[in-house]
Amino acid sequence: METPRPEGEAPAPKQQTMIYICGECHMENEVKARDPIRCRECGYRIMYKKRTKRMIVFDAR
Amino acid sequence: MKEFPNFKNLTYTDYGKPPETQNQNLQDLVRPHVQSFNCILHEGLAEIVKHLNPVEFSLPNNDRVSLTIEDIVLASPAVNEKAVCRTTKVYPAECRVRKTSYKGTLQATIGFTVNGEKGAPIARKIGQIPIMVKSEVCNLSKLTPKQLIKHGEEAEEMGGYFIVNGIEKVVRMLVLPRRNYPICLTRPGWKSRGHLYTDYGIMMRCVRSDHSATNMVLHYLTNGSAQLCFFNNKEMFFAPVILILKALMPVSDKYIYDELVKGKEDDSFYKGCIVGMLRETLNEDLLTMTSVLKYLGSRFRVRLGLPDWKTDIEVAEFLLKQTICVHLSNKEDKFNLLVYMTRKLFDFAKGRCAYENGDSPMFQEVLLGGHLFQMVLKDRLESYLYSAKSFIDKHAKNCKTGSDSYTLNQETLNNALYHCPDIGKSIEYLISTGNLNTRSGLGLMQQSGMTVVADKLNFMRYVSHFRCIHRGAFFAQMRTTTVRKLLPEAWGFLCPVHTPDGEPCGLMNHASAMCQFQVFTYYQKPVLNALSVAGVKPLSEPPGRIKDCYTVVLDGKIIGYVRDDKATEVEQKLRTMKVKGLHEVPPSMEICLVKKTKFASQYPGLFLFTNPARMVRPVMNLALNAVEMIGTFEQVYMNICIDQNDAYEGITTHQELDGTSMLSFAANLTPFSDFNQSPRNMYQCQMGKQTMGVPVHSLNYRSDNKLYKIQTPQTPMVRPTKYDLFDMDSYPLGTNAVVAVVSYTGYDMEDAMVINKSSFQRGFGHATVYKTECINLLDKLKSGHDSTPLVFGIKTTNEAYKTGQLDLDGLPPVGAYLDNTKPYYSFINTQNGKETIIKYKSQEPAYVEHIHLLGNDLGTRGKSKVAIMLRLNRNPVIGDKFASRHGQKGVCSMMYPVENLPFTESGMTPDIIFNPHGYPSRMTIGMMIESMAGKSAAIFGDCYDATPFQFSEDDPAVDHFGNLLVKAGYNYYGTERFYSGVDGREMEANIFMGIVYYQRLRHMVSDKFQVRTTGAVDQLTYQPVKGRKRGGGVRFGEMERDALISHGTSFALQDRLLNCSDKSLAPICTKCGSLLSVYMEKKANSAFAASSEKSQQWSCLQCKSGSHIEVISIPYVFRYLAAELAAVNIRLDLDVKG
Repeated sequence: METPRPEGEAPAPKQQTMIYICGECHMENEVKARDPIRCRECGYRIMYKKRTKRMIVFDAR
Repeated sequence: MKEFPNFKNLTYTDYGKPPETQNQNLQDLVRPHVQSFNCILHEGLAEIVKHLNPVEFSLPNNDRVSLTIEDIVLASPAVNEKAVCRTTKVYPAECRVRKTSYKGTLQATIGFTVNGEKGAPIARKIGQIPIMVKSEVCNLSKLTPKQLIKHGEEAEEMGGYFIVNGIEKVVRMLVLPRRNYPICLTRPGWKSRGHLYTDYGIMMRCVRSDHSATNMVLHYLTNGSAQLCFFNNKEMFFAPVILILKALMPVSDKYIYDELVKGKEDDSFYKGCIVGMLRETLNEDLLTMTSVLKYLGSRFRVRLGLPDWKTDIEVAEFLLKQTICVHLSNKEDKFNLLVYMTRKLFDFAKGRCAYENGDSPMFQEVLLGGHLFQMVLKDRLESYLYSAKSFIDKHAKNCKTGSDSYTLNQETLNNALYHCPDIGKSIEYLISTGNLNTRSGLGLMQQSGMTVVADKLNFMRYVSHFRCIHRGAFFAQMRTTTVRKLLPEAWGFLCPVHTPDGEPCGLMNHASAMCQFQVFTYYQKPVLNALSVAGVKPLSEPPGRIKDCYTVVLDGKIIGYVRDDKATEVEQKLRTMKVKGLHEVPPSMEICLVKKTKFASQYPGLFLFTNPARMVRPVMNLALNAVEMIGTFEQVYMNICIDQNDAYEGITTHQELDGTSMLSFAANLTPFSDFNQSPRNMYQCQMGKQTMGVPVHSLNYRSDNKLYKIQTPQTPMVRPTKYDLFDMDSYPLGTNAVVAVVSYTGYDMEDAMVINKSSFQRGFGHATVYKTECINLLDKLKSGHDSTPLVFGIKTTNEAYKTGQLDLDGLPPVGAYLDNTKPYYSFINTQNGKETIIKYKSQEPAYVEHIHLLGNDLGTRGKSKVAIMLRLNRNPVIGDKFASRHGQKGVCSMMYPVENLPFTESGMTPDIIFNPHGYPSRMTIGMMIESMAGKSAAIFGDCYDATPFQFSEDDPAVDHFGNLLVKAGYNYYGTERFYSGVDGREMEANIFMGIVYYQRLRHMVSDKFQVRTTGAVDQLTYQPVKGRKRGGGVRFGEMERDALISHGTSFALQDRLLNCSDKSLAPICTKCGSLLSVYMEKKANSAFAASSEKSQQWSCLQCKSGSHIEVISIPYVFRYLAAELAAVNIRLDLDVKG
């Protein structure tokens, strides 16, 4: 099971952007909630969501 | 040349690095598809322009207008011109991920003439049409493996398919009658075509150089005459053949008579028939060519839809061009062909030659994807011109200054073309649905099922899609099984093993691995020159009496004659030219000398074929010691040995390249298939295609709905040479398993198999399923088409965000674990700020593999479309299906702990226990040999060849591998002493143990199990619902009911059919017996008696009393039945006692 986020550590306040990786040039793009999906560098139309930095631990069974 | 299998990949230092070039053997398998599309680019577009009939009509001001297409250009796939990006090229990987189509712009130059004066042509983009991957206009066409990988493809990407809405589609190869060969047939149906008609006829499928076809049938009538049946836009017409002959050439009746009678001068019956037919036309007063043309033109004017100003003669000329012998352009050639057909017809009808079997591959060719595409494209362009015409008509009618003032010029034409529909849409529709909706029907038997999805389940299945040849949907409905028969003519072209059993058996065949397809058209001129060099005399100067000559026919055109005694010599000369490439003779030309025989056999002649769509395959020409491509027709008249030892001196001319050349790609991968009972090899071809393997290497760049992948693939220890030839190590399909053939626990009965639990824990058979879901927020609201107020996101106050289950973009973190308690994604309506959280509903937990955010072509769409790939663990559980490569499938019935498994003297335990009863009835000796070979391969650290037909009676396989085993200190037969895992006692019997390559099949219990105690019920009947998806039950049907009745188990019966189904308590009036008239009566003054339990009471409407009401238990549907019957005025009374 996924470890819940520790209580005290609230999500970074008002971080309104997410970072995605361009499918063509692999540049990191900040995309705001209503921004179009388009690489700022090369104009490519597919973005990959980055793997979470958060530690994910699953029970060994 | 022959390379034995080896483990070179294990030690090969460059393993894993992309090679410089692709494996041509693999590319060859898909080549017919790719080449046939290239064929459109090289010759097809020009052919379309050449053959497309101009659309001619007159304007209201009597201007005579003609619209033509002067040029067509197909561009490589590119993004919308308005989009701003670094590269405009679109690669297939993007289309797969974004669920769009891989298409390029089609630009046509539309020319027009007004009253014969040519206007300036207009170049227009008339649509985006799907492009075949790896064809020459595809952006991948010339890329090296390394570049392919960079663009998200496989290193060995073969192409050959279209991408429509992100789905890979292959155009099915269909069997068609051989083009431009008059075949004599008997069809009982022909008798009903009219008075005097017989079942004899000569059918010919005439195909133009742009692959569009029309059929012609020359019928034999009982009065000794011949009627020609021809087609125009699916409509059938009949005419006496003499009439057509007269229309073709301005010659005298005497000339026609002489031509028809040539070579049959001593056949008085035939001569009489010809005279009779000629007289018939005389009686119609049709003497000259012009009178015949006028006659034909006046009859057909209405049907052909030509403009009014065309004369009758022009109309008739058009008819002859469009319907009669369309593969020939010269009228004299058409005349000669019809004469030839008439002669053949009479010989056939009089039993002087045998009938030809249309089901034989000899008289068949294959419709290739590109050729079909080209025909459709031509049809679409034609209707494009017609729609342009209708818009011009409309504009002229609505012209503000009066319709007479409307003139056609570049501007007005441009206006009309602006309104014409995009032709790309309809072609995309064809590829995505497989439905043809063309005006002419393209002369095909079926109008649907033209495409199939190229399923990337595993490599074997994927490749088989491209090698599949279907006989046609029409034949599936046929009662007779003759079309399904495997004929000897199919040798080397169609695989005898690789056809499914059951309904499509024999109709869906697969081309043998060596079989290739002639795709391009060759120029006829060099062949004609070569023919005269070889000694073929032209028609005008026969080398003797025609009776003593063979007629030479090249692609349905009568060329000339060869004297009987010279024929063999000419054939050999031609063959030498063909093999050596002299005089530009095409290397795939078919040279078929059908010799005259004493008894009626096939109609003799020297038939030459250079045309495309034929199946050809390589064999060794022994005389010239070179590889020759031979076709299906000529193979029948050739003497080909398989082995040098089988050759007969002076008779055998050719030798097979390989003993396995008759086998398809899939059948070639079965080891020791020559030791198995044949149906087992068929089963393996089916099962191999259902195996979980390595589907793709570019998982990150794909979003297939479902992909299966095994985690511990291995290269087989024992494999046929073709395995390496096709680089199967890149896409392995199974695992080597130690298999003991014992009946051990009882858990291995009836095709069940016991798996060693420790093997399982070490990773045996571990697999994952990747599911991709494409979520488009445009579909969530029914409003606007192009934009939506919805956007992926979540409010920071939401619990799902706070606990980290969803990120700020409303999507789960990559790598997250999802089960049915977790939120899946959420989106916000930007107009009203409403937030919607969608839960993950599936019962099966999954992990998020990757998430792709998908933009649109212009780069304007926000976060409203994503593709989420989920990873599902599918490690073996009890009930999962496994199979060896010999059609031996079984389900895992138990994971047995290793300590309880039997062990050998060396302490080894098997991975799999296979029940010995699986062998006797199935006779899969190949599996036993594989087991022995695998065992010795494992000991010697080598990999052994399992190609079929390498062992013989004198050198048996058992002996070969037995000796190897003895060398290693094992028993000759591969048996070992075993000790019981339970009590340690030595077993009395020797146990056969070895290594067998096992495949894990995709059928898994987790996808299939269905269980229910209580759950959803049907709204109307209150019975349990059906269907696994809805948590429904398994039907307890009539036969099950019968079983319970016959067993007398009435309690079980009542329990199943009533108590556990739709039992309900219903009030009934025992007096009138009605279920329906009972109603709930509300007592007057209920306000006072509210507290008393008698405030409501059942009452009967008919009897007006409540004193006879009883409550009984009945199935709820019974009440429904009563209500339904009441609706049709039938009263249902129950005779209730007690």
